[in-house]
Amino acid sequence: MLLPSFEYYAPTSLAEALRIKNQLGTSAPILAGGTDLIVNLKHRLASPVAVISLKNIKEMTGIEAKPDSVVIKAGTSLAQTAEDEAVRKHFPILVKAIESIGATGIQRFRGTIGGNLCLSPRCILYNQSLFWRSGKDKCHRTGGKDCLALEKSESCNAVCSSDTVPVLVALSAQLTIAGSGGKRSIPVSEFFTAKGESPFNLTPDEIVAEIRLPIPWGPTSWSYQRLSFRSAVDFPYINAAATAIIEKGKVESFRAVLSAAGPAPIILKEVESAIKGQKPEPEMAKKAGEIALKAAEGAIVDNALAPKDYRIKMAAVVAQRAVKEALGL
Amino acid sequence: MTVNGDPVDVAAPPSATLLEVLRDELGLYGVKEGCSEGVCGACTVLMDGQPVRSCITLALEAEGATITTIEGIARDGALHPVQEAFIANGAVQCGFCTPGMILSAKSLLDRNNNPTDDEIKTALAGNFCRCTGYTKILKAVREVSGQTKPSQTD
Repeated sequence: MLLPSFEYYAPTSLAEALRIKNQLGTSAPILAGGTDLIVNLKHRLASPVAVISLKNIKEMTGIEAKPDSVVIKAGTSLAQTAEDEAVRKHFPILVKAIESIGATGIQRFRGTIGGNLCLSPRCILYNQSLFWRSGKDKCHRTGGKDCLALEKSESCNAVCSSDTVPVLVALSAQLTIAGSGGKRSIPVSEFFTAKGESPFNLTPDEIVAEIRLPIPWGPTSWSYQRLSFRSAVDFPYINAAATAIIEKGKVESFRAVLSAAGPAPIILKEVESAIKGQKPEPEMAKKAGEIALKAAEGAIVDNALAPKDYRIKMAAVVAQRAVKEALGL
Repeated sequence: MTVNGDPVDVAAPPSATLLEVLRDELGLYGVKEGCSEGVCGACTVLMDGQPVRSCITLALEAEGATITTIEGIARDGALHPVQEAFIANGAVQCGFCTPGMILSAKSLLDRNNNPTDDEIKTALAGNFCRCTGYTKILKAVREVSGQTKPSQTD
């Protein structure tokens, strides 16, 4: 399979990259590890004018441990992130998620944390070669006006298939986004639009620059649960992350996130309010499963290899497991 | 870039993959094109000592890097221990997955010379084999672990 033609820029600074991005906008995607972008280009899902490589931008890789947070540059490889001392110490949940990504022996060397955050949402009717798609109508993302998985749907329902996204949301990560107007900072939970055709709150001139993980103020327990067909290589067809700070037998802080359902991760707020301030009880995990099931029913459509009804049922299972493990039960 | 120890100067368009350059420009046909979309691992080469899928790596991304293909791991006419173990254990049938498989295994052993079974399986999870059923491949890698000095790098 050959790639389409495009220009290649390898600027040596973020400022230079932003200049090019400002000129070309969405027709110049960022090339980090390329493990998602290049595949999509081979499938002709995009025809960029150019790619902007992060290869020579030293300021886009690196991890800094600060007193109150760990700051990871968006172009840092998944391998470097998972091996970092500060990340391993404060965020073992992130290490677990990274170790689940892709071809486990290969992916993490090229793949980057920013790339996994900005993973293009996936759909079994979209992530196919041009030849395969020539037998189908066009959809919201390929120049049409409908969703092939859910007829009459106003927007694309593709799946946010990243392993790190629910974890970053559960960790209350902050993103620093650089653009022509300077830098802005948003919580990662506000990064997602829930619309598969434009899944991120990013303007065409912007680049995600860094991910800031606040260090938890107390002892944290956590869980990352994912289900996929094979134990490696496959994207999750449902996943969930939960983090808890439990002191003196009481849950002081709790976060539960369901993902790999629709185009955006879903914070299970009802679960949080039911658990916060209480003692951990097994009933809480069961209740979390019920809440996740309802959330999944509203988000999951028939756009994955695993059938919709199965994924909805499994949403309850991963949420239940994640909450149970995070509560130490 | 440096390929198998030799400096190489090749002109490539932006849309050329590392796989295409290694095979078509440099004649290194040991690098195989399996799926061409970064899933099967047949195209695995080592870039600065780390396994990467050359079919989804732009050649221009490899500028300045050190590349090792299957053709580059033998030393002075002697096969690498991983290669010997694959032959001795019948871990090669059609041989198409073999170059990528061996390079992934070599990369693992360079980083961790006494891996557990789970660590071996995790390291090779991105290399698919349709012929052997993986058993003899695992046996070969197990045999080499503990026997390859970590200094045996590119």
